[in-house]
Amino acid sequence: MTRKISNFVVGAFAVALALASSSAHAHKLRKQGERVAVAKEAFFVTPTRDWNELSISAGKNDENWSLDGRQLNDVTFFGGIPAGSPLVRETSSKNDPLPKFGANTLIVEVPELLEGTYRTAKKSGSFQVLSTEPGTFLGHDGVIFTYQFSDEDSLTRKGEARAAIISGKLYMMTFDAPRLNYFDKLVGEFRALADSAGLK
Amino acid sequence: MFYWLAAIAGLCGCVSAPAMAQDRSATKQGFELPAHSNKRILVFRPAISVGGQSMAGMFEPNADWTEKAKVNIQRALEMRQAELGNTVIAAPEAYGDQARDLQEHMALFAAVSQAVIEYQFFTGNRLPTKKHDNKAAVFDWSLGQGVAKLPGAQDADYGLFIYDKDAYGSTGRKVLQVFAAMGGVSVVSGEHKGYAGLVDLHTGDLLWLNADVEMGGDVRDAEGAKKRVGQLLKKFPGSQIADEPKQ
Amino acid sequence: MAAPVVFAASAPLPPPYAGIYQPQGVDEAGWWREDDESERSLAASPLVIRDEKLTAYVKKVLCKTVGNDRCNSVRVYIIREPTFNASMSPNGTLRVFSGLLLRVRSEAELGGVLGHEFGHFERRHTLQHFRSARSGTDMLAWATVLASIAVAASPHSAYAIRDNYHDLQLSVYGNIYRHGRDQEREADHLGISYLNNSSLRPQAFSVVWQNFMAETEASARVRGLQKPNFKAIAFTASHPPDAERAGYLAELAAPEGAGRDEGADRYREALATWLPVFLDDQIKLNDFGGSEFIIESLAQNGWTAGLWFARGELYRTRGNQRDLVNAADFYSRATALDGSMADAFRGLGLSLMKIGQRTEGQAALKTYLKLKPDAGDAKLIGMMVPKEEVVK
Repeated sequence: MTRKISNFVVGAFAVALALASSSAHAHKLRKQGERVAVAKEAFFVTPTRDWNELSISAGKNDENWSLDGRQLNDVTFFGGIPAGSPLVRETSSKNDPLPKFGANTLIVEVPELLEGTYRTAKKSGSFQVLSTEPGTFLGHDGVIFTYQFSDEDSLTRKGEARAAIISGKLYMMTFDAPRLNYFDKLVGEFRALADSAGLK
Repeated sequence: MFYWLAAIAGLCGCVSAPAMAQDRSATKQGFELPAHSNKRILVFRPAISVGGQSMAGMFEPNADWTEKAKVNIQRALEMRQAELGNTVIAAPEAYGDQARDLQEHMALFAAVSQAVIEYQFFTGNRLPTKKHDNKAAVFDWSLGQGVAKLPGAQDADYGLFIYDKDAYGSTGRKVLQVFAAMGGVSVVSGEHKGYAGLVDLHTGDLLWLNADVEMGGDVRDAEGAKKRVGQLLKKFPGSQIADEPKQ
Repeated sequence: MAAPVVFAASAPLPPPYAGIYQPQGVDEAGWWREDDESERSLAASPLVIRDEKLTAYVKKVLCKTVGNDRCNSVRVYIIREPTFNASMSPNGTLRVFSGLLLRVRSEAELGGVLGHEFGHFERRHTLQHFRSARSGTDMLAWATVLASIAVAASPHSAYAIRDNYHDLQLSVYGNIYRHGRDQEREADHLGISYLNNSSLRPQAFSVVWQNFMAETEASARVRGLQKPNFKAIAFTASHPPDAERAGYLAELAAPEGAGRDEGADRYREALATWLPVFLDDQIKLNDFGGSEFIIESLAQNGWTAGLWFARGELYRTRGNQRDLVNAADFYSRATALDGSMADAFRGLGLSLMKIGQRTEGQAALKTYLKLKPDAGDAKLIGMMVPKEEVVK
């Protein structure tokens, strides 16, 4: 598995090469103090520090931000997922369908939905919800939860998420980072960003 | 059971794309390691794999070459660092929880290196926040203070991670290459890639990283390994000073 | 061309055990060294289940199947991965996925699969396969270069040349995959011959494939996919068609072994603590048909509270209105069998709330909180229940 990781790193050359060759896909700067619409203008945040919006997002209604690259810290904005849709892009809706957000999904079931999405997409049994608490998001009653999983690169990551269901749509922000160093160091930045989120 | 499948996937490396201009190494701003500062460098079990390359480009692992390369690289590393005035220590074997913690740190180092290559070395793909900083040549990446508890860390100043993979083209591969060249088709014979990174064992900060996909020096003999280690440690902090003729 | 491997109607005896094996030749020594490195990291991987008792049990089943002398060369690692798989690499590392343990029902079924994997090891298949792939792709490399040159030289005939090249590519890869299937057949034959010579019932091995076919079919049906053709050989299939395997394994099982014990009770007991965990991993894979099939086949020995609960979770997760009515029914059967099963009350409560039976739903959620006051989601669930009643 060490070899796999190492090859993965060298493979980064190829990925970066492909990305670097098209400047249309450049990452965007999201400046401290400047209010900005996220995830197809589904909601707004006012960053308390500079962030990067990554050029590639996880899904149709999603947007991804990072400070050091998606491997090390990843904020995903899920902007109003409608009933019947998966949280992230499906690789094959026929052969590998992902679980869908439903019209009758309860807020207490949202952690299960994220868990099912990660497990199905990664064919992995390692995802664990660590805590689930009531909380507010976008000014609505919602849920704050934490989780942990080991990814394909054998690195264990921790995550924290806030979600609310508003007018039948799911709004959520998640933060994933390696549990070594990155999660604890940056979860405060994520919380500040989530605190700043508003619908208008 | 299906190693060979991965090997077949390597077949498409038959015709290569020209490499884009990019950085290959960087050093943390403000980090200096003057020659003869007598630092102790802990080398984590290097991931070294040496083999042949079949006509079609499949990797053929070779245990004998790999063992020779390990010894050669280790010796060349010790010599090189001795020239720079540092001591090289091999990390002790880890067991149980310690082994798992070490492996997780190795995986983190791999992820950090990947991020550096993807978002920093490829200048066109830089993150805007880092771009701002890069104007001042800031290179700010870290594994965190957990490294201080890794086996052997308490007796050393810096940790060195090394990855090296060599596939030497078989005669068949070389014949194919020559023939293809006559027809105007590019076939690469052999694969020689490696990267190395230096980490501060107190803070976990990444001090220097070097990554190269086309390296020279035949690691199967001592002289070649010396050349390879020289390339692996290219722009290693303090090495420029040592490169200059001694007075 | 490679003739199909023909086997006699009865399984051969296992080859005499050759003793501790050391790799021979450059290729094999090379793969062993790579494999040793890979095993080092596997041993420290976060996905390995570190349950000494369970690991020892799986090893024991392997030993029972292939014999104590053979099984000593093997290290077993159980990996938390809910897919149906196991693999044995050249140096004797046996990786058993938790999805396999969920699907087999007895020591004999497990032994059959493990014996098959051991067969690959004993016959050193990885090495042979590597060599076959290497010579096949060598030819392809020449063809690639020649085709590229030809296309460059005469762009007009590019399509024809590419077609020819494509055909050659298909035949080379076809040979490589066929080689793989022949190896799988040989490993199957070894697997069944170990079982024939063991204390376990060899007829069980064929059942593994019959069940797997049924599961695949159930999974495809729910996804609206075509019924899989178990008799056809997919071009890239690395294994023989499942129907063929089930057929020859049934034929080759020694008739005199039919009366032997399968070890189903011992297997159930050894897996008891892990079964709910593995089942939960499976349900969360979003494979409704496959999961339903697995639950129903486990229930052949009688429905337990755990199985009703799992079925409730499966239906609630899919979440159509009709599913929720069924889910509520399944959860109540679970709570009827085991009144202390907190999570079943949770599922029952949530399902009832969603189908509009609010009062009953709240009552079930209250029971959940009473049984599991420290539940991770206790506060959130508490908000769904009238306050004064929670305090009481």
